[in-house]
Amino acid sequence: MILNITYQGQSADYHLALDYNASDADIRRIAWEVVRSGSIRGMHVPHLAEAAFRGYVVDRLRAPGGEPRIYLRPKVPFGASVAGGGGG
Amino acid sequence: MRVVICGVGALGSTAVSLCRNLPVELRLVDFDRVESKNLAAQWFVKQSIGKNKAEAARLQLANFYGAKGAGGPAVEAMGVRLAASNAAQLLAGCGLAVDCFDNADSRIALAEAARARDLPLVHGALAADGTFGLVRWDERFTPDREDEPGQPTCEGGEHLPMIGLVGAALARAIQDFVRDGSRHDYSITLSGMSRTF
Repeated sequence: MILNITYQGQSADYHLALDYNASDADIRRIAWEVVRSGSIRGMHVPHLAEAAFRGYVVDRLRAPGGEPRIYLRPKVPFGASVAGGGGG
Repeated sequence: MRVVICGVGALGSTAVSLCRNLPVELRLVDFDRVESKNLAAQWFVKQSIGKNKAEAARLQLANFYGAKGAGGPAVEAMGVRLAASNAAQLLAGCGLAVDCFDNADSRIALAEAARARDLPLVHGALAADGTFGLVRWDERFTPDREDEPGQPTCEGGEHLPMIGLVGAALARAIQDFVRDGSRHDYSITLSGMSRTF
């Protein structure tokens, strides 16, 4: 399984044995561990706050070849420069 | 093909500017008006202030590149808020819908209207801190809600480069679809853009 983590404008893949239907809380906890420990390339934050991924979204998607992937990413609510307006 | 772009703010106006050479008719939908603070992060100019955003973008394309029939893109502006009551009119005759709205309720309303008409729909979306963006087709997209209503984002133009990147990715996704019907997703971070589907 590939877990893709996006944090502070960087994104990287982490390969691990993981149930595709693992809970969002489990995925956030795994992400916190691997980013904090430096196990994921280019994304080492030793003092990462435990709540760093609170509010992040877990997407379970299949790649074009059909292989399952899990994405942990920030929310993307916006398309406009002023929230609550009509257009984005 | 007619392409309807829903939401002509930061992301929508940027994408519109990059779709000007596509062999399509553009229909722009936005009820909002251009304010001076919008100029920092949206594809508008001082002369746009006070105008409806859809109409301002149409005028700008005509002024910069020529009107329809005179070398410029074919564009129509709909200065209204998309709702269930007018979705049929706004989406009529379109082969593609593009979501650049700034809130989950509008995104959901558009998605429901597009699905009911079997109309392909692609979404563009930005994170509040300007570090991340997504372009995703509707079959793989779930709208995210703001952390709090009215949460400000991207104000002051600080995130304009990221808006440009996401707008470019969205324009590329539209271009690919118009060319051969392909539906590619993109993920955009500060370190680059990757195709995820």
